[in-house]
Amino acid sequence: MHEERLFAQLRGALERAADGQSGRLVVVRVWIGALSHLTEERLREAWPALTQGGPAAGATLRVEVSSDLAHPDAGTVVLVSVDLADEEQLP
Amino acid sequence: MSERTVRVNYVARVEGEGSLRVRLRERSVEEVELQIFEPPRFFEAMLRGRDAKEAPDITARICGICPVAYQMSACHAIERAHGLTVGGALRELRRLLYCGEWIESHALHIYLLHAPDFLGYPDAVRMARDHREEVETGLALKKAGNTVLRLLGGREVHPVNVRVGGFYRVPSREELSSLVPVLEQALVAAERTVRFAVGLPFPAAEEDYEFVALRHGSEYPMNEGDLVSSRGLRMPQERFEEAFEEVQVPYSTALHARRKGGGSYLVGPMARYALNRDLLPAGARKLAEGVGLEEVVRNPFRSIVVRALEVYAACEEALRLVHRYTPPARPFVELPEGFAGGTGAAVTEAPRGILYHRYEIAPDGLVREARIVPPTSQNQARIEEDLRHLVERSLDLPDPALSDACERAVRNHDPCISCATHFLDLRVEHV
Repeated sequence: MHEERLFAQLRGALERAADGQSGRLVVVRVWIGALSHLTEERLREAWPALTQGGPAAGATLRVEVSSDLAHPDAGTVVLVSVDLADEEQLP
Repeated sequence: MSERTVRVNYVARVEGEGSLRVRLRERSVEEVELQIFEPPRFFEAMLRGRDAKEAPDITARICGICPVAYQMSACHAIERAHGLTVGGALRELRRLLYCGEWIESHALHIYLLHAPDFLGYPDAVRMARDHREEVETGLALKKAGNTVLRLLGGREVHPVNVRVGGFYRVPSREELSSLVPVLEQALVAAERTVRFAVGLPFPAAEEDYEFVALRHGSEYPMNEGDLVSSRGLRMPQERFEEAFEEVQVPYSTALHARRKGGGSYLVGPMARYALNRDLLPAGARKLAEGVGLEEVVRNPFRSIVVRALEVYAACEEALRLVHRYTPPARPFVELPEGFAGGTGAAVTEAPRGILYHRYEIAPDGLVREARIVPPTSQNQARIEEDLRHLVERSLDLPDPALSDACERAVRNHDPCISCATHFLDLRVEHV
């Protein structure tokens, strides 16, 4: 259930990031804090379901896992950035 | 293709939706309602019509912290319906798997959720800046528990290697021996944890609990034993529903359990310890005596010490099981043929307390009816009583301080909602 809540937040953040932007999301970068209960494996497993039907469907997920226990966001997951590609230039 | 990067830096975190409503009439507490807004998940309905052999994997999804408990209760209940008893090395592997879950679950609660309460930090992240070594000890213990889960269960969260009758695959002796150094280090960390926990500053509190746990003839309970209580209950575990019932309360999606004809009761480490202290492994018993832990702990804040002792006991027991392991001839026992349908129920000791499963199974092997009573719903009424007593003692505190004290009182019992209660919304109504 905790993961579901996190994923819902990430999904909402991805929608807001894509809102008003031209182009399609092709890369999503996520940072996982050292004290977050989310693992990279779990995020990758959920990624297809998390992005299905949304602006990040088919986007490549890039994950950075922090080992810094003293980081102020160590207990969180951060959607760092997204790369957008212009539609007309897509094959 | 031209690409551009958009910086987002959106921070997502676990945020519970717990709230506590306290109704005061002058200086008397009229009502205390702990409300947890979790959507109903309908697992019992979901199980109807499914092959009973799927139940261990389906119910494991109920909890990401204690999936083994759901797998164990489901397996035992279904095996009981078929008249099957799993013994020998398979029984011991199940116990070892449970040890792994106790270690990882308790370590998480002790260091990341509970210890910050006693050391004056809002959370483990802030605590880690000043108590790095303690947090690293907690993470190392959690990792050790996870290593056991991964080796026996195939992965750390929601293991996939458990099945009715045993396992899909069992480890070789050499594979299991790889756990020895991991568990030896964990045992040292667990002893440090007990000594750390017992030295924490505890608020004064004494509650008159009815403790309920399993009790086995010769071992600290995990998968087997009779249901016993500190007020004289003793019955075979499959008769759980004769003594306990669940009721709906209008303000929560979680059912509340109570003793039939009685009141609330407490399950979990304090109950297990109070009812099974004499069955702790020798090293754990000696450690409990060495640190002066009372024979029955009634101060809920001191549950962290009992939880730490159970981590030690689980490490000690896991090492014993690993050392004596001889792989079984087959990884599982087949269910007997000619099943005519039947009902099976079982209770096992999840980290948070007894977990009851009952399945009515048709002759074709499909589930007709399922019933699951998790430990948190059994403790919910008792947690509310703790809260009522705390509020009565703390009427002069301003609301923010009262809210903080209530969050701590909830966390004493490590409910599945522990992290949710870091965001408890307190409403005090004066009438």
